[in-house]
Amino acid sequence: MIEFPRLTYERLQVGEEFVSDTFLVTPEEIETYAFAVDDHHPWFFEDSPFGGPVAHPTLLGNQALRLRHSRYTVPGGLHAKMEFEFVEPIRPGVRARSRGRVVDKYERRGKPYMVTEFTTEDETGAVLVRGRFTQMLFRD
Amino acid sequence: MATTTTATVSIGQELPRLVKDLPQRRIDAYSGVRPNYIHSDEAFARKRGFRAPLAQAMMSTAYVSELMTRFVGTGFVKGGTMSMTFIKPVFAGDRLTVHGVVKEQHPEHGRTRVVVEVWCENQDGDKTAIGTATGLLD
Repeated sequence: MIEFPRLTYERLQVGEEFVSDTFLVTPEEIETYAFAVDDHHPWFFEDSPFGGPVAHPTLLGNQALRLRHSRYTVPGGLHAKMEFEFVEPIRPGVRARSRGRVVDKYERRGKPYMVTEFTTEDETGAVLVRGRFTQMLFRD
Repeated sequence: MATTTTATVSIGQELPRLVKDLPQRRIDAYSGVRPNYIHSDEAFARKRGFRAPLAQAMMSTAYVSELMTRFVGTGFVKGGTMSMTFIKPVFAGDRLTVHGVVKEQHPEHGRTRVVVEVWCENQDGDKTAIGTATGLLD
């Protein structure tokens, strides 16, 4: 069982690793994302040069960003920086999983930050997206 | 879909701008709805010192992704990169304009990587996100 302690700067350890659950990329998820970001590019719904439809490259970003929720109750925070490398197109039918590692934490102007490196892979272990993000933590 | 090639790209070239409205409904679709959540709970957002719920900064990365996919095409979806810093909050009800200007090009494994300076501005002309995005052109 996971206990989900409240995430605090003091509790967070550099080197900590997170793994998400798998997420099935469905046509409905692609459509919902298209509505959310108001981007209805035909490659997402019809054919693409990759053969068949593909998802928005950033579709799985939140799976990575929410990795810390797999272990902690998070009091919220602000997203400060985001880096992406789009390695392979994300296709409907893929079961994606993100893995992350906390590579740094620091305080700036009295506010605590954490830095996570991540990869998002399909069910064969092929990397779809990799990157790094910085999040500011709210203090209670 | 994109017809951009190395022959048609020039340094300083401005990409066609995108304009994005962010009603709460789209934020909810992006982030989900739950209590004590800065993106969907107005009272909680106010308690944290904000005038309204915030759009997730990640939504701006989606807008930059759209800008680049329309400009570069397949070489962004496979082989593209993005590096963004979020410098001001974006609120429910805001309107963002997404900008891009070509900064440089350099060869990479027989193709050309085009580097674009990108940023988002709100309806008051304030930059909310800044960074670079790149893609591969044939």
